[in-house]
Parts: sequence; C-alpha cells; structure tokens
Amino acid sequence: MANDKTPIVAALAAATCALLGSSLPDPVQAQEEPKWDFNTALLYYGEDNDRVQDLSLNILARRNFVDDRFLTAGLTVDALTGASPNGALPQSVAQTFTQPSGGRTYTISPEEIPTDDTFRDSRVAVNVNWQQPLGRLYQLNVGASASAEYDYVHTGLNARISRDFNQKNTTLSAGLALARDTLDPVGGVPLALTPMRLADRGDDDDDEGGGGMSANGWSSKESKDVLDVVFGLTQVVSRNFLFQANYSFSDASGYLNDPYKILSVVDGVTGDAVPLVPDPVFDGPSHLYLYEHRPDERVKHSLYLQGKYNMAGKVLDLSYRYMSDDWEIDSHTLEARYRWPVGRSSYLEPHLRYYTQTEASFYTPSIVDGAPLPGYASADYRLGNFDAFTVGLKYGWTTNSGNDASVRLELYQQLGDIPSQQLIGNQLGRDNYPDLNAIILQFGYRFGL
Amino acid sequence: MSKSVVVSLVCALMICGGCASMGVEPWERDVLARDEMQLTTDPVEAALDDHIYFSKEASSGGRGFGGGGCGCN
Repeated sequence: MANDKTPIVAALAAATCALLGSSLPDPVQAQEEPKWDFNTALLYYGEDNDRVQDLSLNILARRNFVDDRFLTAGLTVDALTGASPNGALPQSVAQTFTQPSGGRTYTISPEEIPTDDTFRDSRVAVNVNWQQPLGRLYQLNVGASASAEYDYVHTGLNARISRDFNQKNTTLSAGLALARDTLDPVGGVPLALTPMRLADRGDDDDDEGGGGMSANGWSSKESKDVLDVVFGLTQVVSRNFLFQANYSFSDASGYLNDPYKILSVVDGVTGDAVPLVPDPVFDGPSHLYLYEHRPDERVKHSLYLQGKYNMAGKVLDLSYRYMSDDWEIDSHTLEARYRWPVGRSSYLEPHLRYYTQTEASFYTPSIVDGAPLPGYASADYRLGNFDAFTVGLKYGWTTNSGNDASVRLELYQQLGDIPSQQLIGNQLGRDNYPDLNAIILQFGYRFGL
Repeated sequence: MSKSVVVSLVCALMICGGCASMGVEPWERDVLARDEMQLTTDPVEAALDDHIYFSKEASSGGRGFGGGGCGCN
C-alpha cells in the first residue's frame, strides 16, 4: 500500500507544479524556445543644421538556463559627428572661438547661434546582467556596465531584488546602481568661470595626458560618482490591465560641468558680447567668453507611472514621469504608444511623447560685464526652459523564418524659451535659443539560436 | 523633496493598499503573458530612447536606472 501512494503524491505534485508553472508570465519557459535570443538594432539619429549625427549598432543577447536563470549581455557601438551649441549667444558680428583642443580657432557668421563643429567621437558600451530566482517569491538581478569614448569612461554596478505577492499579481522591487565616470576632455579641464583660452597649443589635437595640472592650472582629468536607488511596484489589475509605479532617487557628485560649454560676457546695456583686443602672438576668441560652472552635487527625485491595457488585441501603453532636482529643474514627461495589429503577423505602433522642463537656478544666457561673477552659471540649452515633442511610427512584422523585424521613424523637436527678463538690450531681438529638430530611424531584428 | 513627489508617493502607497484585492488567477494570464503586454516590450529600443533623451534633456531614468554613462554633447 505504501508503495501505491507514491505515484499519487507524485502525480499531485506534478499537477500542482504544472498549475503553478502556468502562472509564469514569461513564454520563454517553453522547452522548444531557443537557448539564445538576440535583439539587434541599427539606429540613425540626426539633428538638423549639421548638428549631432549618430549611427548606433546594438546587440542584446539573452540566454536562458534551467530554473528561470538568465544571462543578458549587451554591446553598443556609436559613431558620432556634428556640431553642438557651445553656449555663446549669437551676435550681429562674426565671432571667433578657440577649439577645445587649444590648437585652432573657428568663426561663426553674424546672427548664427555659435556651434562647435569639431565634435567627433566614437563610443563603445557593454553591459552584462544575471537574473535568477531566490526561493519561490524572490528574484535577484545583478549587473555591470562600462562605456568608453575618447574623452569619457563610465563604469557601473547595479543590483535589484524583487518579491512577488498575491499570487504574483503584485511585485515590489528595490534596486541600487553605483557609477564612477571619468572625464578626460580634449585640451584639459578648464577652470570654471575663467576666460576662454587662446589657441596657443599649436595644431596638436591630443590632450595633455599623463594626469596632473598643466601650466595654466587646468587639470587633465575629473570624475563624478552617481548613486541611483529605485523602488518599484508592479500590479496586475485584470486580465487586460497592469501598471507600474517607480520612485527613483539619484545623487551625482563630483565634476558635473560640461567642459566644452561657455557663456558670453555682455555689455549691461546693449547686451552685446564684449570684444577683446587680439593677442599679438596667438589667435584666440574675438569676444570675452567664460567657461561654465555647475554645482558639484545634484540630487534628483522622480516618480514614474506606466500602465498597459489590452483592448481586444490592441495594446495601449501610457506613461508619465515627474522629475524634480535640487538645481530647481522640474520636468514632466508624457508618453503614449498604441500597438495595432495588422493582419496576423504584423503591427503598427504610433508613438507620441511630450516633455517639458523648467530651467536650472543657475541657467543664464549671458554674464554681465563688470557685475560680480555668479557662483554658478551655465548657458547650456539643456538646462534651460524648453518643451520637446516626439512623433513616431513603428511597423513590426514576423518574417518567413519566424523572427521579428521592425522599422521605426520618429521626429523629435525641442522648442526653447528664454524668459525675456533674462535678456538684455539687443538680445531681445535675436533668436537666442538653439531649437532642435532631429530624426530617429531604427531597424530592429530579433532572432533565436 | 518637493511636495508633489510626496503627494504622488502617498497616492502610490494608497493604490498599493488596494493591490491585494486586484489581480487574476494563474489560469487567466494568457493575455498578460504576451510579448506586447510586457512593461518593456523592446529593451533595445527602450535603452536607445533613454540614451537619446538623457543626452538632450535634463531628466533621465524613471523606468529603471538613470541611463547615461556618456559625456554627451
């Protein structure tokens, strides 16, 4: 009799496992699924007026192991070129600036927003991630990331733990990420709020290297540390609806300036940039410009809400993010995606995004000549008041071989607004904010091995 | 921390308080299990977007960690 009981217990256990197993949301569990899943994308990002262009190749590989364990590894390679606004205001006369390398100068035509077109970089980024269950209800996720550019190196570690409740309908998670980034700017790290350098370093485009200080008191390297903490809640509401709510805290400390950004020093009445007497030996800036200066700490809080709703096969994805930081920047981001099946194996997905931010407390379009220098000042357009809009459309289909392919085209536009009380004299009649129009074109292909 | 963040957090916790009565039975997960119902449908596209917006705006992250890791111009 004792021997007869065992198969019943085993059968009950198997049935229970099958039932519990069926509650797992991830379809990758099926034994027929491939061991490796590759998610690849080629992205072109291009701004108008010969500003930043980026060609980006991305591969994300994911391998499943027994017992719901996953290894994920990602590689991104970017090739970047183009011009970027340097922070100076447009003028009615031509303006000359020293390249960051200190080797040459470049000149901007009257009424044009000054941009530095020497920007050219490549970037390689890698990340690895390991995910596994801890017992029946917990899930652990640990990862590392690194990226390198000519003048910038990032290294980071992250970990996240989550716990399921309420028959896996509720999941709470907590995550921590630490990053150490090192900047090694072309030409060295400028001293904050000091005049733009002369082109006194010949045609040598290399940075000084070797660490330490150069003769002008500039260091060659700086670093910053970033701590991120995220608490999340995911809730299944019904068979067709789930949502997520995340609170994030971020603390960045160290060198937070952009070493390539400057501000125009202007006359307090006319608002025009203060011209300089040319140096008898070296080329150099035509007007007085100062390197920017930001606080060496920034604390951000953000709240992110996302809901997904399935309406008879059509999926609406809505999200909202509120961000507030101690630089007095507040931002709101609203995003919507609507996935619309077309036929049996393809879909269309329109995408809308709206973003708005207030300016940093130390954002200023210019510094008045003769007035006491502010403690912090930046004219970086990304710290100003602006709204941004994204409109996009994605088309995805399943290929004859059963793999997923997609193409998406999006337009991104930034419209800035410098409050008139921050503008002086002739600045009021000029177009001072470097509005941005960009195109995003992406091809995606996902396959298994 | 600004007042609106606190208010939002309190709201999130209140919503959470009602979570125990929400949800589905294990055999009702057919729709939720589909790829298009995952919170992040396409992780590569999400990472690319995070990176673009991190480079061009003063906010980042939210969905997960802050993104970034570049000296973006």
